[in-house]
Amino acid sequence: MNTRFFYLVIVVITTLLSACASLYAPTPEARPVSVNNAVLALVDAARKDNANGKPDAAVATLERALRIEPRNPVLWQELARLRLQQGQHQQAEGLAARSNGWAGEDKALRAENWRLIGEARLKRGDHAGAQAAFDTAARLVTE
Amino acid sequence: MFTRKRVRLLLLTLALMLSGFALYLDITVRMKFEGKRWAMPARVYARPLELYPGMKLRADQLALELAMLDYRVSAEPKIPGSYRRRGDEFMLLTRPFDFWDGAQSSLSLQIDFDGARLGKLTSRDTGQKVTLARLDPVLIGGIYPAHNEDRVLVRFDEIPPHLVKALIAIEDRKFFTHHGFSLRGTARALLSIMSGGGIQGGSTLTQQLVKNFFLTSERTLRRKFTEVIMSLLLELHYSKEEILEAYANEIYLGQDGNRAIHGFGLASHFYFDKPLSKLDTVQAALLVGLVKGPSHYDPRRQPARALARRNLVLQEMRKLDYLTQAQFVAARSSPLGVVEKAPEGTSRYPAFVGLVHRQLRRDYREEDMRSEGLQIFTTLDPVAQVSAERALASRLTQLEKDRRLPPKSLEGAIVVSSSQNGEVQALVGGRDTRFEGFNRALDAARPVGSLIKPVVYLTALQRPDTYTLATLLDDSPLILRERGTPVWEPQNYDKEFHGQVPLRVALANSYNVSTTRLGLALGVNRIMNNAQQLGIERELRHYASSLLGADSLSPLEVTQMYQAFASGGFRIPLRAIREVLAADGQPLQRYSLSVEQVIEPGAAFLVTHALQYVVREGTAGAVKKYFSSDLDLAGKTGTTNDLRDSWFAGYTGDRLAVVWIGRDDNQPINMTGAGGAMTVWGEMMSRLDPDPLAPPIPDNIEWAGIDSTTGLRADENCPGIVKLPFIRGSAPTETAPCANPAPARSLKNWFRRLFE
Repeated sequence: MNTRFFYLVIVVITTLLSACASLYAPTPEARPVSVNNAVLALVDAARKDNANGKPDAAVATLERALRIEPRNPVLWQELARLRLQQGQHQQAEGLAARSNGWAGEDKALRAENWRLIGEARLKRGDHAGAQAAFDTAARLVTE
Repeated sequence: MFTRKRVRLLLLTLALMLSGFALYLDITVRMKFEGKRWAMPARVYARPLELYPGMKLRADQLALELAMLDYRVSAEPKIPGSYRRRGDEFMLLTRPFDFWDGAQSSLSLQIDFDGARLGKLTSRDTGQKVTLARLDPVLIGGIYPAHNEDRVLVRFDEIPPHLVKALIAIEDRKFFTHHGFSLRGTARALLSIMSGGGIQGGSTLTQQLVKNFFLTSERTLRRKFTEVIMSLLLELHYSKEEILEAYANEIYLGQDGNRAIHGFGLASHFYFDKPLSKLDTVQAALLVGLVKGPSHYDPRRQPARALARRNLVLQEMRKLDYLTQAQFVAARSSPLGVVEKAPEGTSRYPAFVGLVHRQLRRDYREEDMRSEGLQIFTTLDPVAQVSAERALASRLTQLEKDRRLPPKSLEGAIVVSSSQNGEVQALVGGRDTRFEGFNRALDAARPVGSLIKPVVYLTALQRPDTYTLATLLDDSPLILRERGTPVWEPQNYDKEFHGQVPLRVALANSYNVSTTRLGLALGVNRIMNNAQQLGIERELRHYASSLLGADSLSPLEVTQMYQAFASGGFRIPLRAIREVLAADGQPLQRYSLSVEQVIEPGAAFLVTHALQYVVREGTAGAVKKYFSSDLDLAGKTGTTNDLRDSWFAGYTGDRLAVVWIGRDDNQPINMTGAGGAMTVWGEMMSRLDPDPLAPPIPDNIEWAGIDSTTGLRADENCPGIVKLPFIRGSAPTETAPCANPAPARSLKNWFRRLFE
């Protein structure tokens, strides 16, 4: 029980820290999602769907965008964030990892993926795993 | 007084009995009608083609898609579903369609191509650029009731208007105005019965429908009476359109062995091998002519009678001015146009629909699938499917010729998926693609041979402290004694042993001996568990021979396993379905993309690199000749004992495909994976403009120059230097004799070797 509390404190602190750090890092939105207008239109539509309380429709639309640009890490990340919001933690983690695969040198994007992975693990009760993910995120930001 | 009362009572009783009888008939006929009406099958659609500027699409591929959608060529496209092509320019009016995520109305588009890409997409109404548009999806089949009689049910609005006109003209001119029966017709029939001649014609379409419901052909007064009452009742409850729709789906139109052909939808496939919507007036007139007597006017056996009957229908249509004189003259002289042999099934892609059916069965009860008129949107890419079918058919015929095998002795199967999201784009279950029988892609489990080897090498590369692409493996003779099994001495395909070989070379040349030795060192259990981890659900045996692919898998299972390699280490369940909608258009179920990382990205990258080397330098080298540019694709050949099975699994930047060739009776086919399945793969992929394979390089990968003979660090002094990827820190530190040694390093290594 004690160690669990300890972990929680650490995790909360790191989350706060990484949140602060992200103030200095370019936000994911700073990167253009795509140069393809079709993809941009779909991402807009997905965001609207989600804002209107239709996350399932948003998922379908993002998958449609991913069929056009399967190597676009921002799309994978966007889908990961949606899944996290829907409580599908394992999916969120897998999708964020997939985004990492295509993220290349974009450290801000990768840091955000690790934060998503950390949150997903936290929600699943994997505190040590969450901590490791947040650490990676923090390292990427300071590098 | 008394008698009058009795008469009244009698009349009352009679009236009561009569209304009771009518009520009984009413219930019966309604039940019958509803039963037929709601037996709408699930409709299965291909993926809709998305159009956007810059997409990979050729003009000919668009033309193929439009042909499959039955878009009509028109000089000035004004009706939805028509287009005009001039070279690489298309003018197109799309059909409106209700997609799962909303309706898209008809769009008037101008499409220009720029080589292998769609160049410009413009709205012809506004002249504005269009960012994204969808074509309506190709209907690829239905999932029908499993009775002995299958049907292709059609809705009223899908019945071509000229067919309705033909039917009205010849069978029931007053259909849209009468109340179910014609007085004159019935009177004539009654007269005919009384004079002992039985009923002669005179039935309205409604009466014919009622007759068909109760499938007896007794010709009595009572029968005629019930029929008239029931017809009246039907007309009371249902609209003319509903009645005509039921009629169109119910009417008996032919016999195929013990299979009865009911309904115009199925008859259209049976006689013309086309969906009903594609029939022209002449063909529709023939089908309508058959109503009177399908066997008497059988167009295959009695072409002269059928022709005369068809022309009579046309003549009746002319009389009612449904046809102009010119149309009538032209129609009368056209041939019957019936296909010689009735097609085996009603779907063009029964093997793929089989996979859809199987995936649905996990989620729905069999009755729900049949009775609710579901709409199923699948992942089938008709262009990929056609390429796969053609490549298999043409290569098998050629291979039989080249190798002097009996014609039609070879069989094959193909699965094509999207490497990034696991959608099954094409599935071929045998060379006769219209045959609904044995689906080899799903159900033919065959020993996979060397296709299993990448799992052995993956398991090794997951231990970078011990194994890298440069590690030397021992390919000298090996004798295996396992308790309870005979002594086993694995052999290489070339019957030679190769001494010390670099790991990636052993895989590239598919050496059996070094692979077995490597697998045994790693542990068979561990390797087979790894295969399971990648997505194989079937129980695998854990014998030494399993390391060389003694276990049997279906092409679909192999595809699932390679999906993990093609996606860079993710288990992505193969999906054939995207969405399921209920009959009312409400979404019932989505089948979402699901990914789970099962291989660390670095190890996955090394396996793909090794499989690219198989194509670059190894057993799959010949596949390159199918492509004009270097795609750096990854692949693995598979051959089994006595050359019974020929396999190839390979992936490009966008697609993964697995091909199997063999015989149903499991006899040798005298073909390796490279000689057989790989040629099918190459021919198919070359038609699909594959993307080059350029997997992202994970963080933990570093590159080092290696001397290929010793597996040690090399520099530009070494003639056989290769640049290889390594998990960070796992590259050999020791320098090869050919290289200029960095003094400190080699001294350190010298010490290290001393203590190891």
